[in-house]
Amino acid sequence: MSSEQNTGSEVAGQVPMIELRHVEKHFGDLHVLRDINLKVGKGEVLVVIGPSGSGKSTMCRTINRLETIDSGEILIDGKPLPEEGRELAAARAELGMVFQSFNLFAHRTILDNVTMGPIEVQGVPRKEAEESAMALLERVGVAEQAAKVPAQLSGGQQQRVAIARSLAMHPKAMMFDEPTSALDPEMINEVLEVMVELARGGMTMVVVTHEMSFARRVANRVVFMADGTIMEEGSPDEFFDHPTTERARDFLDSIKGH
Amino acid sequence: MGISELWATYGGMYLQALLTTWAMTAVSYVIAMALAVLITVMRVCPIRPLRVLGDFYVQVFRNIAGICLLIIIVYALPNLGLTLPYRTCVIVATVLLVSAFGSENFMSGINTIGIGQIEAARSIGLGFSQTLRLVVIPQALRSAVLPMTNLAIACLLTTAIGSQVPLSPPELTGLVSYINTRTTGGIATFLISALGYVGTALVIGFVGNRIDRKVRILR
Ligand SMILES: Nc1ncnc2c1ncn2[C@@H]1O[C@H](COP(=O)(O)OP(=O)(O)OP(=O)(O)O)[C@@H](O)[C@H]1O
Ligand SMILES: [Mg+2]
Repeated sequence: MSSEQNTGSEVAGQVPMIELRHVEKHFGDLHVLRDINLKVGKGEVLVVIGPSGSGKSTMCRTINRLETIDSGEILIDGKPLPEEGRELAAARAELGMVFQSFNLFAHRTILDNVTMGPIEVQGVPRKEAEESAMALLERVGVAEQAAKVPAQLSGGQQQRVAIARSLAMHPKAMMFDEPTSALDPEMINEVLEVMVELARGGMTMVVVTHEMSFARRVANRVVFMADGTIMEEGSPDEFFDHPTTERARDFLDSIKGH
Repeated sequence: MGISELWATYGGMYLQALLTTWAMTAVSYVIAMALAVLITVMRVCPIRPLRVLGDFYVQVFRNIAGICLLIIIVYALPNLGLTLPYRTCVIVATVLLVSAFGSENFMSGINTIGIGQIEAARSIGLGFSQTLRLVVIPQALRSAVLPMTNLAIACLLTTAIGSQVPLSPPELTGLVSYINTRTTGGIATFLISALGYVGTALVIGFVGNRIDRKVRILR
């Protein structure tokens, strides 16, 4: 095991940051999540991996209720995820989400993108929000771009802004849905480096990614999904070096192939 | 009568008609835009009956000829005990029509935003109305500038339905009929009014383009 992994929190009795219990989800006839049970401890970094269509994004999105679930339970820091209204908005504010396609607000500057949440949701005074936003932009290395609009930035820069936008809300946990798969190869590392820093800083993270090097460096645990179920889970080294299921072996062969 | 003679005799009336057309256009357009925002918000809100009502409104008023609408307002509403001044009738008909098309423009503006930004807004904890106010409406407004410019011109031309009711003073089209019942101006009578429409439309188009260039969202 590499030394960079943080300790996670398999401490007995501690409430997990994120917990899914018997979660089921259909899209019409398609059964996308089948009896998903998952705990993510405080400060733990969980990597989710699996073939296309296996339900990774859907699972990620149920955690802040961008997708509803048919049955089961989702607990955030021990509390059930609210179903709607102000309570749901408040719960979402505490969960960062980073999308494959960045999804920055196209009509606002980079700085505005980062300050919008704190100002509008948390009522932070503008000046204060801008100061912390600049500090965050500095941290992810795009402070010089603050006055530009998203379309003027590269994909890698936009994704780092998206991370800063989430961080500005001081989230308890962050979800990343294939944060680097829309990026040109030369930009992948700049985003992964920011994520590694976050992981080292103790952020609870659920990361859907096929970046094995990232998983080996910082993941405490890897979960392998196929056909809407969690087929296998283990430490990155266990999983990547000695997958136990046929599906996982086939899948790993297919992504190592290129 | 030639153009110069017509102008010498009726110049003052033409100017008054132009002002009437402008006033009805401006009032109708401003009200229609506000109404279009409201209807569009209804059409995207989570409350189903409101969505249905919004869609229904658009389907009705987008698919009815302005002149029919005016006739209904002028002749049918009094039977329900509502008699409006003729000028108000023209404005109401124009507003109903233009707001339906305006809402369609906003809807296509919203569709250019993409679900991703809306999900991003929700995931930083913005509620429905905050997401609308901060993310959806500003972008829909800004990307609707060009179609809304065209609609402003359509609004200008729609006020010509005012020629079908006795307005005083008449608007540009009504004035043509008024003059032609008194003199034999023929096509020239119409030409002067047409210049009024074309000139106004050119100005609207110019202003719209300038605004669009200024607020267009880089994508
Ligand atoms: N909104 C939707 N409506 C209907 N079906 C959907 C919807 N979203 C996803 N699906 C389907 O659900 C299944 C799981 O999708 P999901 O996006 O969770 O997979 P994934 O593991 O993230 O795949 P990928 O690696 O391609 O991103 C797929 O078959 C997909 O086509
Ligand atoms: Mg996916």
